[in-house]
Amino acid sequence: MKKLLALVLALVLCLSLFAGCSADVAPAPESEKPVVDAGDDAAEAVEITWWAFPTFAPVDGEAGKYEQSLADQYMAENEGVTVKVEMLDFANGPDKIVTAVQGGTAPDVLFDAPGRIIDYGMSGYLAPLDDMIEALKPDVTSDAILSACADVDGNYWMYPSSSAPFIMAVNKTALETAGLFDQVPQDGSRTWTTEEFVALSKDMVKAGFNGMEVYAGGPGGDQGTRASMANLTGATITTPDLSSYNMSSEEGKAAFNMVMDGVNEGWLTGNTAGQAGDALEHFATPGGATFWAVNLWNANVGAARAGELEAAGQEAFAVCLPSKSGTPDLEYLVNGFAIFDTEDEARIAASKDFVSWLCDDEVVGKANVVATNCFPVRTSFGDLYGGDEEMAFYASLSEFYGTYYNTVPGFAAMRPFWWGSLQAMLTEDMTPDEAAQYFDDMSNPTLVK
Amino acid sequence: MANTVKLSRKDKKAKEGYNKLSPQHRKETLVSYLFLAPALVFFVIFVIVPIFNGVFTSFFHYERSTFEFSGLDNYIRLFGDPIFYKSLLNTIVLVIASVPIIVLFSLFVSAVIYQKNSFVRSAFRGIFYLPVVTGSVAVTVVWRWIFDPYNGVLNYVLQTYFGVEDSIQWLGDKRYALVAIIIILITTSVGQPIILYIASLGNLDTSHIEAAEIDGASSWQVFKHIKWPGIMPTTLYVVVITTINTFQCFALVKLLTNGGPNYSTSTLMYQVYETAFKNQDFGYANAIGVILALVIGLFSWIQFKFFGNDVDY
Repeated sequence: MKKLLALVLALVLCLSLFAGCSADVAPAPESEKPVVDAGDDAAEAVEITWWAFPTFAPVDGEAGKYEQSLADQYMAENEGVTVKVEMLDFANGPDKIVTAVQGGTAPDVLFDAPGRIIDYGMSGYLAPLDDMIEALKPDVTSDAILSACADVDGNYWMYPSSSAPFIMAVNKTALETAGLFDQVPQDGSRTWTTEEFVALSKDMVKAGFNGMEVYAGGPGGDQGTRASMANLTGATITTPDLSSYNMSSEEGKAAFNMVMDGVNEGWLTGNTAGQAGDALEHFATPGGATFWAVNLWNANVGAARAGELEAAGQEAFAVCLPSKSGTPDLEYLVNGFAIFDTEDEARIAASKDFVSWLCDDEVVGKANVVATNCFPVRTSFGDLYGGDEEMAFYASLSEFYGTYYNTVPGFAAMRPFWWGSLQAMLTEDMTPDEAAQYFDDMSNPTLVK
Repeated sequence: MANTVKLSRKDKKAKEGYNKLSPQHRKETLVSYLFLAPALVFFVIFVIVPIFNGVFTSFFHYERSTFEFSGLDNYIRLFGDPIFYKSLLNTIVLVIASVPIIVLFSLFVSAVIYQKNSFVRSAFRGIFYLPVVTGSVAVTVVWRWIFDPYNGVLNYVLQTYFGVEDSIQWLGDKRYALVAIIIILITTSVGQPIILYIASLGNLDTSHIEAAEIDGASSWQVFKHIKWPGIMPTTLYVVVITTINTFQCFALVKLLTNGGPNYSTSTLMYQVYETAFKNQDFGYANAIGVILALVIGLFSWIQFKFFGNDVDY
């Protein structure tokens, strides 16, 4: 009898393994069954999944609360559509997407930036958005925005929502303490030359502050080092036609040499283990050392670090990146949405409608732009910050937007070579010239992928 | 002619043995296998199938949506990849440097505390096991604070009390980065061996130890001739498992250094990750994974050869 009982128990255990699997094939309850489109009166029930990086400012300090409120509002306005929100984090989100794509479990909608989105598009994972972009074109603020949403062949894979330039910030408190704040550009577009920046850097180091960090510990915020270095000597990361990387050019090598000289002379600080987040933390919460400048900043970063700066009794002041000519080529952020090609027309259509609502709706679209602390890509949205001088300064920088190279094939594969080459130079495994050449040699093959 | 399967001598013997079992015995065997079945199903789905999948795709040029047979290309590519050599060397250094320290330190701590009262024993077990249950992310956050070159505790102590002038980049200087990883790895790895050794030492037959002591054996002789052989099965397990875990060291590297500076802390597991998830070169990543598995297998075989002869169950 005992044996029989044990046998039954074992069988139950085995079968229980498949309970989860069987749920998919079991008849769904009436309430969960898809509603067949029977005409205008009946809406088709569709469930879409939205994956989002925490780009919107969190509500009550809770990541995802804002996104969920958007989904709830949309579902209330669109009966039959269910939107499931899942938040990603910047550290592991990209890996999660790659895993999901390879495993065939990609979401319907992704809120991200062009660097990854265009890569997915060129790999054939996304639904084309040319139809949506065509409708947007007459209203878009800049062609640069559109170029960020397309691959090199002009296919559109991302629907933009907001945009902002990447610039730098200086520690106003530290500069005032040193009596050097007047050397910082404060009028108009706050542009300055490399010469002015280097002179001030040396003065600030003499005054006892740390030179701006050149971080090379990973991909986080690596656009900060790329843009700041390229501008110092008038180099460009890629050739204008985006056909190859260009840091082994005379100007590119000069940039590597200038940074290495700066680190050796002490007016720059090399950090081979840190990323932009570390540099920002050092900048915003000085402990034993105060860094007078940080080379990655925008309104969103400023808002995120405001509390730390205030607690540390410091004030940041945003300025343009210094450049050889005094007119910088800025990299810029474009926030936008991609729709994965799930081969389910109903889900793709629902996703497009949802994305359009998030970006184009007069009320929701504007609120979403403000929630990113960025600027609208639609002219019709106008000035969303009501004459705020600081935001007007950020908005005015669109005239300095440079060539957008984040959409080239293999962009993500290039990034390890960027910070890898900086590491090799800063640890003196390579000379600056060799590091610049290494970057181009290793990165160029990624362009043809 | 009916389908017949020619059985080997060994199989024939096994079949005969099974046939000789009484019906009740057979039922018991069947029940045993059924109890094993749930775990076996998981094992097959989450271990065996991925292993075969990994080996299979290592023979393919598998990037993003490209999937083309490429024979041994990925393996041939390994031999010309300087990052692979660096990662392999770092991995071996990590194993050789950390495994003996983990085993000896665990044994030392266990030998000191296993005869203490239960409160002291539990307190030490808790302290040493804490980093194991804390989780890699939390542990690395703390260590990053300690190692931070500008606001870190370690540099503060060195500069304030030991007269060190410059900020040392513990994780960013190739002279220190791997050492820093090894230190953290040791602190997160000693917990389980200590628990096992305490249990193993506590289970030794005390009459043998007492008899040896009455016969005038010194502490070292008691340890060498009675305790050490008695805990050999535990030592074999600890050495093999610690070696395998160290070979698979990934989280610390990913969270602390991203393999840098200039790949000086990159391990094979980290290279697998970077190749697969950053470069999306899945075929090549799997080829590295296969090589890693072979290296682990080789080391484990050597360890079984070395320690296994002395193990008496």
